[in-house]
Amino acid sequence: MYKLLNNPFTNQTQNIIRTSDGAFIPLDPDNTDYQAYLKWVAEGNTPQSADEVTTPSA
Amino acid sequence: MTQALNLANLANSVNSSGQLAGSAVNGAVASATNATNATNLTGGTCTIGTTQLGAGDASIMKNRIINGAMVIDQRNAGASITNNSATFAWGVDRMIVYGTQTSKFTSQQNAGSVTPPVGFTNYLGITSLSAYSITSTDWFAVSQRIEGFNTADLQWGTANAKTVTLSFQVYSSLTGTFGGVLTNSAQNRSYPFTYTVSSVNTWTSISITVAGDTTGTWVGATNGTGIAVVWGLGVGSTLSGTAGSWAGANYYSATGATSVVGTSGATFYITGVQLEVGSSATGYEYVNYQTSLANCQRYFSRWDSTNNTYTPFIPITYSYAPSTIAQGTYFHPVSMRSAPTITSSAIGTFNTSFTVLTLSAIQGFTGIDKNVSSIAFTTAASTLGYTAIVTANGVTTAFINFSAEL
Repeated sequence: MYKLLNNPFTNQTQNIIRTSDGAFIPLDPDNTDYQAYLKWVAEGNTPQSADEVTTPSA
Repeated sequence: MTQALNLANLANSVNSSGQLAGSAVNGAVASATNATNATNLTGGTCTIGTTQLGAGDASIMKNRIINGAMVIDQRNAGASITNNSATFAWGVDRMIVYGTQTSKFTSQQNAGSVTPPVGFTNYLGITSLSAYSITSTDWFAVSQRIEGFNTADLQWGTANAKTVTLSFQVYSSLTGTFGGVLTNSAQNRSYPFTYTVSSVNTWTSISITVAGDTTGTWVGATNGTGIAVVWGLGVGSTLSGTAGSWAGANYYSATGATSVVGTSGATFYITGVQLEVGSSATGYEYVNYQTSLANCQRYFSRWDSTNNTYTPFIPITYSYAPSTIAQGTYFHPVSMRSAPTITSSAIGTFNTSFTVLTLSAIQGFTGIDKNVSSIAFTTAASTLGYTAIVTANGVTTAFINFSAEL
């Protein structure tokens, strides 16, 4: 299972958290853990949404 | 060979008038004669009889295996681990240990504390935990995936594919025919091989020569997997192939090979692993410790507090008010193969050098790229700009792992 983690500054996905061990997986296509995540998604799975982050006011 | 190199010193013997000193000429001729008698020197390749030695034309990187002497063990520091079917593990750095059924074997640097073979201080030891009967699709193995940058010159997948020789030392409580494979990244080209262990609990030198694959798709000079070397510990029939030839299939061993996991308490120890260009095994290419460690850190590095319970890590600065985030930048010891996956110990194992910048949670560790990672904690700080050093919290168990394995 995976969960998304958003960047608090941009509110865009910055990491994939592998929930089994809490690993932070970068969005790098050369990273084999990210490749495994993409394969998992391609198999029809959906990661947990990211927690909401408090964004700075304008 | 050494005397033949004296020819290269002739230039140094030319005097100011452009004449060769007589002694230099005589010495060079004598040396060349001796060299010719000993070997056949052709284009940098040394041939004895019909055997090419060191045909890789390399004085370094002869061995394409990293940590073949099993010296570096950053993850486990010599501790035993048990195989888990859910994930790869590394018995020592760069050496994957895996099995499709959980808890069938343990892996440990210098398991059993036997005397390593002459010239070595370490080995990777596998111990079977049960007498497991493998199914047709089970596989248990030790392997190393070699990066494409380090195999591209072999030109596998072309008509110019080079012959390689795999050598290693093995020690087992079992005798018989063991197996393994060389395979490509897509795992659709495999070369199963066998080797024989005739005496129990005795270090045995193994050498296997493989003609390079002239077909198939092989990763070239990239950071993907160039070649994977696999030693089977018990592989089912579906994943085993005929030894001694290339096959367009995904195999992990040779048909009929011994199953280590099939005997409770069986041991399989290995070290001195070398994969080199040429049709004969040459002496193991020893690598100094710091070079071997750096080579491993391209794929995995670790900060931990094993030796100092307040080991400092990096400075962080309270820089983001709404979520009270303090963050810093960590530069990897060497450029990694890819941006790393990061795991760590629990938040309670970390502290800071500044009491008002206490840490309440791990916000996120992000491998930015091959060189840099971002480290961010949620803090209880109250003033932007506060800076402190992240340290271990008086424990030996704090760690942060950075993994860019193949």
